[in-house]
Amino acid sequence: MSKPEKFFDENGLRLDGRRVDEIRPMKIEVGVLSRADGSCYLEWGNNKVLAGVFGPRELHPRRMQRPDTAIVRYRYNMAAFSVEDRIRPGPNRRSTEISKVSREAFEPVILTHLYPSAVIDVFTEVLQADAGTRTAAINAATIALADAGIPMKGLVSACAVGKVDGKLVLDLGKDEDNYGDADLPVAMTQDGDVTLIQMDGNLTQDEFKEAMELVKVGCKQILDIQREALKSKFDQFDTEEIEEETVVEAPKSEVEIDETVEVETEVVVTEEEEVVETEEEEVVDTEEEEVVDTEEVEEEVTADDENDEEPDKNTDDEDVEEGETNE
Amino acid sequence: MSEVMSKLKKDYVYNLMLKGQREDGRAFDEMRAITVETNVIDKAEGSAKVQYGDTQVLVGVKLQLGTPFPDSPDVGVIITSLELNPIASPTFESGPPRENAIEMARVTDRGIRESGAIDLTKLCITKGEKVWMIFIDVHVLNDGGNILDAASLGAIAALMTAKVPAERNGVGEDFMIPVREMPVGISVVDIGGELIVDPGRNEEAVCDTKISITSNQDGSICAMQKSGEGALSEKQVLKAVTLACEKAAKVRENYLLKI
Amino acid sequence: MNKKLVIPGQFLSSNVKNAGSGTYIDDGKVYSLLYGILNDKKRINVLPFSGKYIPSRNDLVIGTVIVVTPSNWIFELGSAFDGLLHVSEFPRRIESAQMKGVMSVGDSAIIRIKDVNPAMKVEITMRERGLRVIKEGRVIEIMSTKVPRLIGHSGSMISMLKKETNCEIFVGQNGRVWINGKDNDMDRLGKAIDLISSNSNASGLTDMVYKFLKSESDVEDDVDTNTVSEDVEDIQTDDVEEVSEDTSRKIDMLLDPEDE
Repeated sequence: MSKPEKFFDENGLRLDGRRVDEIRPMKIEVGVLSRADGSCYLEWGNNKVLAGVFGPRELHPRRMQRPDTAIVRYRYNMAAFSVEDRIRPGPNRRSTEISKVSREAFEPVILTHLYPSAVIDVFTEVLQADAGTRTAAINAATIALADAGIPMKGLVSACAVGKVDGKLVLDLGKDEDNYGDADLPVAMTQDGDVTLIQMDGNLTQDEFKEAMELVKVGCKQILDIQREALKSKFDQFDTEEIEEETVVEAPKSEVEIDETVEVETEVVVTEEEEVVETEEEEVVDTEEEEVVDTEEVEEEVTADDENDEEPDKNTDDEDVEEGETNE
Repeated sequence: MSEVMSKLKKDYVYNLMLKGQREDGRAFDEMRAITVETNVIDKAEGSAKVQYGDTQVLVGVKLQLGTPFPDSPDVGVIITSLELNPIASPTFESGPPRENAIEMARVTDRGIRESGAIDLTKLCITKGEKVWMIFIDVHVLNDGGNILDAASLGAIAALMTAKVPAERNGVGEDFMIPVREMPVGISVVDIGGELIVDPGRNEEAVCDTKISITSNQDGSICAMQKSGEGALSEKQVLKAVTLACEKAAKVRENYLLKI
Repeated sequence: MNKKLVIPGQFLSSNVKNAGSGTYIDDGKVYSLLYGILNDKKRINVLPFSGKYIPSRNDLVIGTVIVVTPSNWIFELGSAFDGLLHVSEFPRRIESAQMKGVMSVGDSAIIRIKDVNPAMKVEITMRERGLRVIKEGRVIEIMSTKVPRLIGHSGSMISMLKKETNCEIFVGQNGRVWINGKDNDMDRLGKAIDLISSNSNASGLTDMVYKFLKSESDVEDDVDTNTVSEDVEDIQTDDVEEVSEDTSRKIDMLLDPEDE
């Protein structure tokens, strides 16, 4: 491929017919991997990326654990066949850098302190690359994190803006990326806080300001697509049914039971609500008894239950370490 | 990271087997639902996404010009890699391929190579100097058990759709990779003396022996691998071969001949 | 009724006093932290569609031993955090050498979370009636967020399941469900639990599961068993196919008379 003669037609449209402020079409599928806790497949232009989230889960080796917070690990990986010239599988300097800044793009929104000592693993696989893979991977990773039930202050949306032929354009295509004058990938929260920004090329300060305006527009469009994808996963339930959902406290896993009374019409709404409230009160009491099958359970153990030997904390820890090295 | 499977789960899978049943209701000689989609990656010269139940693998074939090996100066080169990416299972870890991944890559490779599936002489451009190198990369996306069979089917399916990019490389006109055989690998595991095909993830965890047999269109065998810490009786090996060849013929007919 | 699907960062309310679980407050407004269903009947809570179990003090759970040390068993709890059972928390005295004889890697047990420290070090106890090693039956895993659905209001679903299948059932807060009974009863129960788990958003679930169990036991009657619970025949009239939502409500009432 060689540099195109011009990047814009007589109407100011780009090589692929887009306006300067238009992103490539994006398609999102939620929950595509059975083994991951959350997952997402995303196509964006000719990019095809897959994101899977595992965790929060135990972090080994133990010395990497942080007692006050979970750590996030992010892997950006390209399939060997994802680009024109095959690349060697496995990490390289480029993917290591991208993994680092992408992880940092999520750290401000994930409530890591809810899972001390644990790890949240975010794995992204670029299956087909076509300019803007790091932003595509971030957009997929956000969805996978939400799908895994990870508490976040909001979604993260990412898009690049660049300069070709002296003109700023949103979401660079392949040729624009290869032969453009500047590339500025950005990830932001829904409030517009920047969680990832990188740049290469050349922009004047005025151009940069304009570029930031443009990229905000792009991230907003992407956020809408992401929201829509998450909402449509549960299309099969009409709202009427969803209203009858049980309640679990989260993320602290206090379980409440709210087996709903079958609501048939909206007319009885006020009565309904009263009924439900009283029921929730009871439920807290019944829950423990209901959970254990008491008749069954009582036979076996006879010892009294006062705990007179406090386990020695220090030995505990040593034992754990020992257990691990033996593993 | 190894996953500890509870004894109750193991007993359950094992006891089902004793009753002639499997966890997902299949017969012992029944494969899971298979899907094969080809040409899913434009950037690759050939590609296939294969699903065996919830196991998903993506195989891409890329071609590059290179130098032949000195001991075979007039044939093309095949290089097969397989990555057990951590996205595919909570038990897979980042890092270079370990013995399991390498074993699977090599067994996949043997099926293609030893069957003579590809006429490698047609991939020589200048004897001793310039030949086509075929890279088969298996990208494992979701481990639902029996990755190996999905990889082997994906590899041949991707090859069957692969075009040699001669024009782009200035060495003549593009042509399809000359595929002349369709090897299909089928894995059989031994659980409590019974042989079952296409093990799911739990079955794979419970069994102590697996044998994978790759066979050709004429029913001949081109590659075989026993793996796992158990042993198989001679009778079991013979039975496994018959079973695998039978199943391979069906898979070939239903998926490869339709490409 | 203001229950609806919400996503992380979605604005929920300006009433910060009512902010409940699964939410956060920013600048005087309440937002969702999770992808799930909003319930703002009383407090503003978000129930996530998925998520790992978080150990909490006093929870009863089912764990699997993953490591045995000279004085501890380490249990995997289907959670982000493993739990530690010190030998002194076992109901009888165990010498170091006997540890593996009591419980070894792969064994499952019904255990109680004794304590969780701020760094999420989880301590477990078995010094209590009913807590024990499980040697028979099966353990089925569901999402811990679906546990309430499986139990049902005041235990209505679980009572129905027990009655219909003649199985013992123990539901751990971590989403592990131990069942024990005849093989074909456990098969039916296992399928019923899958049904509950995959339709946890549907209404009339008890009804749906009841119907399912009836149809399954009919099939099995033809083959080899006669395990249909007779109590249920009293509740339910002849035509199983036409059980209405009303019926399911009646069943709930009959199984739980104090309820109304």
